[in-house]
Order: sequence, then C-alpha cells, then structure tokens
Amino acid sequence: MDTMADTYFQTIRHIRTQIRMPVWIIINLIQPIIWLVLFTQVFKSIANVPGWGDESFLQFFAPGVVVMTVMFGSAFSGMGMLHDIDMGILSKLLATPASRISIVLSRVIASMLVLLLQALIILAIALIMGVHVETGAAGVLLIMILVSLLGLGFAAFSNGLALLLKRPEPLIGLINFVTLPTVFLSSMMMQPDLLPHWLDTVRHFNPVDYAVVGVRGLILEGYVWSDLWRSFAVLAAWAVVGLAFGTLMFRSRAE
Amino acid sequence: MSIIRTQALTKVFPGDVRAVDSVRFEVEAGEIFGFLGPNGAGKTTTIKMLNTLIQPTSGTAEVVGFDIRREPAEVRKRIGYVGQDVGVDEYGTGRENLSLYGHLYRLDSKTIRDRVKELFELVDLVGYEDKIVSTYSGGMRKRLDIAMGLIHRPDLIFLDEPTVGLDPQTRAHIWDYIRSLAKTVGITIFLTTHYMEEADQLSDRIAIIDLGRIVTVGTPADLKQSIHGDVVILTPRSAKEEECKEFIDCTSAVLSGQPFVHGVQATNGQLAVFVDDGETAVPGIIRLLSSEGIEVATISVSRPTLDDVFLKYTGRSIRAEEGKATTYADVIRKRSRR
Repeated sequence: MDTMADTYFQTIRHIRTQIRMPVWIIINLIQPIIWLVLFTQVFKSIANVPGWGDESFLQFFAPGVVVMTVMFGSAFSGMGMLHDIDMGILSKLLATPASRISIVLSRVIASMLVLLLQALIILAIALIMGVHVETGAAGVLLIMILVSLLGLGFAAFSNGLALLLKRPEPLIGLINFVTLPTVFLSSMMMQPDLLPHWLDTVRHFNPVDYAVVGVRGLILEGYVWSDLWRSFAVLAAWAVVGLAFGTLMFRSRAE
Repeated sequence: MSIIRTQALTKVFPGDVRAVDSVRFEVEAGEIFGFLGPNGAGKTTTIKMLNTLIQPTSGTAEVVGFDIRREPAEVRKRIGYVGQDVGVDEYGTGRENLSLYGHLYRLDSKTIRDRVKELFELVDLVGYEDKIVSTYSGGMRKRLDIAMGLIHRPDLIFLDEPTVGLDPQTRAHIWDYIRSLAKTVGITIFLTTHYMEEADQLSDRIAIIDLGRIVTVGTPADLKQSIHGDVVILTPRSAKEEECKEFIDCTSAVLSGQPFVHGVQATNGQLAVFVDDGETAVPGIIRLLSSEGIEVATISVSRPTLDDVFLKYTGRSIRAEEGKATTYADVIRKRSRR
C-alpha cells in the first residue's frame, strides 16, 4: 500500500514537471509528425517494388512511427533521474521512509503516461492522413498496451543506466548508439520479406520489432493471434527484465 | 538522553580512503551539535551514515533509539535531512514540494495542509506557497529546503553545510532560522560546517573533525579556553621558504622553553605562540628575539578562535584550507605524510 501511495505521489510530481516543461513534449511530438509526413513522401514509391504488398508506405510505416515515439521518449527517461541525482533530490528522497522501488517506478510510469498520450496523438494524425485501424477501438487499446510494455522496458533500462553511468554525456551517447540501430534492425521501415536474410534473423532478437509487428498487425490485418501473443509475451518479458535491471541498479548504485 | 551514539563508526571508500575513521561521539537530545572541519574531513560521509544513505564499513550508530544498520527504516521515519545541495524541485511550487514530502512521510492531507501553513510561517515564506520554486532566490530555496526536512516533526534534523554558497546576509538570516528552530520546535540539530563563525554562533557543543577523526569535543567556550589565553602571531621578514623555515625553527627554539609560553605552532609561514595574556607577553617576546638576533616583520595578538583550536590540534588552519577544494587524493597524500 505504502509503495503504491509513494509511487502515485511521485508520479504526479514527474508528470507535473513534464507539463511545465512543454518544449520537450512538443519536440517529441513534432519529430514523429515530421517522420510521418516526410518519410512517407520520400519513400512513397517503395510501395511499387515487386513483393511489397497492397498497402501504401504510409499505412505500413505509421505503426512504426507510433512505436518509435514511445521508444525514443522512454529511452531518455533516465535523464530525469540524473537531474535528481545532480540536484541532491535523490539523496533527500532516500533519507525519507519512501519505498525505494517507488522512486524508479514513478519515473517509469510517468514517462509511460506522457508517451501514451503522444502515441495517441500520432495515431490520430495517422488516421487523419488516411490510415485505417482494422481492429477499431479495442485494437487501439491493445496497441497502447503493446507500446507501454516496450516503453516500460526502455524507460527502466534508461533509469538503470543513469544510475550506473551517473553522468548525462555517456547516457546520451549510449541512448543514441542503441536506439537508431534498433530501428533499422527491425521491420519498421521495410517489409520483412524484402529484408536481407541476416537482418530478418536479427530482428527476432529485437524487442522493437515485436512491437512493430504487433502494432502493424492490429492496424493492417486485424487479430492475427499467433503473431499477437508472441509480441505480448516478448514485450512483457522485456518490461520485466528492464524493471529488474532498473531496480537492481537502484539498489546497488543509489548510495 | 543521547539521541545519537556512535560506536567506532568507520567508512572506507575504494582505494583504501578512510573517510571516517573509528569516530565515537554522543549527541544529547535538544542540543545543537556542530561538526566542524575543513572540506574533505569526513563530515558529509558521517551524516550520510547516520541518516542511512550509506552503510558504514564497520562500527555502527544508534540514532533516535534505532541502530542505523539493523533498523534504517525506523531511523528514516524520525529524522529530517537537509543536504548540502538544495534538494528542492524547481519545477514545483513551494507547497507542492512540501506536500510531496508530507505524503512520503505518510501524513494525511489535512495534517499536511496545516503543517505547510505552519512551516511557511516558520521559515518566513508566507505568500510564496504557490509560486514555482525556480522564481525563489537562493536563500528562499534553502529555507524551503529546511522546511521540507521538518514536515514530519522529526526528533532530529541533519543540516549538512546549511549556508554553503550563500551570501553573508542570507547566511545570517539562515542562522536566525536555525536558532529559532531550536528554541520554538525544540528539535535536536546536527549541523556540519567548515565555517568557524557558524559553528561558534550556533552550536551548544562542537566536535572538530579532521581527516576522518574527531580531534576534540566541547562547548565553543570550553574549546577556546583550552587554548589557555591568547594567541600571538609572529610573521618573518622574508617570505622565502628557507628563511621562513629558519625563522620558525629558531623562534620556536627560543620561545618554547619560556615559562609564559604554553606552546608554539607553525602555520602557513607564521608562528602562533599560545600565551596567557597577549599584551603583556609581546614585550618579552620582542626582547628575547632581539637578544638572539631574530628579526620579526609583524606581531599580532588575538583572542582565541575556533580556528586556533583547530590549529592547536591539527597543526593546520581551517581558514587556509577553505580556499582549496580537498579531493580524496589530497587526503591520501596528507595521510601518507604523517
């Protein structure tokens, strides 16, 4: 009970902070909109490549943009933790009886809530641009759960790494080093059938791909349960491993 | 009744740096206990062990009746901590900052509302409750920071360097708040500082700490009395290191045997001579030195300060240490010189 209350009150604080610093949210929103508009223009003719399928590049890529928004946003979640360390806020929190895990958990949850809102906005823009969600409102709910799991994992890893590295420079470097390749090591921008064989193998070890495949399935194809349950299982495991890592780092490095 | 009792409290950091070395002291309930020492002496490390932020390497302490190793959760409920950094959330309002801590100490909303009102009055921030903290001045932030450590009415509050980085006027203000806190709330205050005036002005008792060890403990008056009278500072004519050293060696040799001299201590190219009465000692010192052919540039007499106490026990001056940022490497170097 105490842990839940502690998490709740700190989550409120983190969300409040983000709302009062809207530049970050706005940038995080504009960027995917640019991708959505720009990329679909640049890569429009890819849909004419033999073996592509029926869907337009916009329809194909829009799920990826939703996933990417959540992934990039949550990957930077640890920056807030670094700020708290630098300002002496973390020490102050640790000297209170507050539940230890609530300190990490509230950050991860706050990141997720803000990012889900962004994901919904991106999805809405995609709909306006002409994307049709095959599974309707229930599908949107499942999409949100899928990207939440992906984001939980990234946010938890990011907070864990923040505690491990203690400085913003290496954290930013590492995030940039990891996030962009994971985009290209997935089927986010290219039909799986058209990927080189090695890449098609590698993407099965990439949690981002499971989110992309799951979300895309719900938007383009309807309920393909064989793919869906695999996406849910892998992303749930990813979230659990991330949270375990974040908690472990917090226990060992929060001194 | 003692509210803090340490037993051979020790913290060794990687690289065999003994930041705190078998420290033993007691703090009585209701007193302001000052922990005075230069940067890097082990003050913050001691606080962080007592408030359960870090684990001691060996030894332990009882804080507000609970062992810091075995029952850290019980300790946390009963203490307040105001760190060296002003740990306030600058994107929140004063009220939001205070309320969050109220909730984390598991107070109910009504109690929190009442305490927020009460604390804003105590630290003189009435009218700023709903302003964002980034609009506060440095002194106001520190006052909010202190208020945040008081929301749960702890028995004991730790103030780590409460006025570091503040201008002299704001510092005097914070001193007033700390004093009124002790008087009106009746809370025990454990305060660390490297400002002698601060320790002198505020503390009922002071422990002087240097290189992780407690050098001496006592009331400010007792500590100054332990100097026995006044301090006469002699400065040599030449600032050259060799001549300086020769001056200090010769002068020490001449004066230390004299019946009116309690002791001599070299510091920063000067020689401090501890005597009963400075004014009457000066003519004698001049006579003795000139008969030996030693030339003196300046002679000054001062009532003992805590700096002299520090000087007497460590052979160094806190004032001289203040300018330098002490790193662990410095500490190791100092230690190996001993």
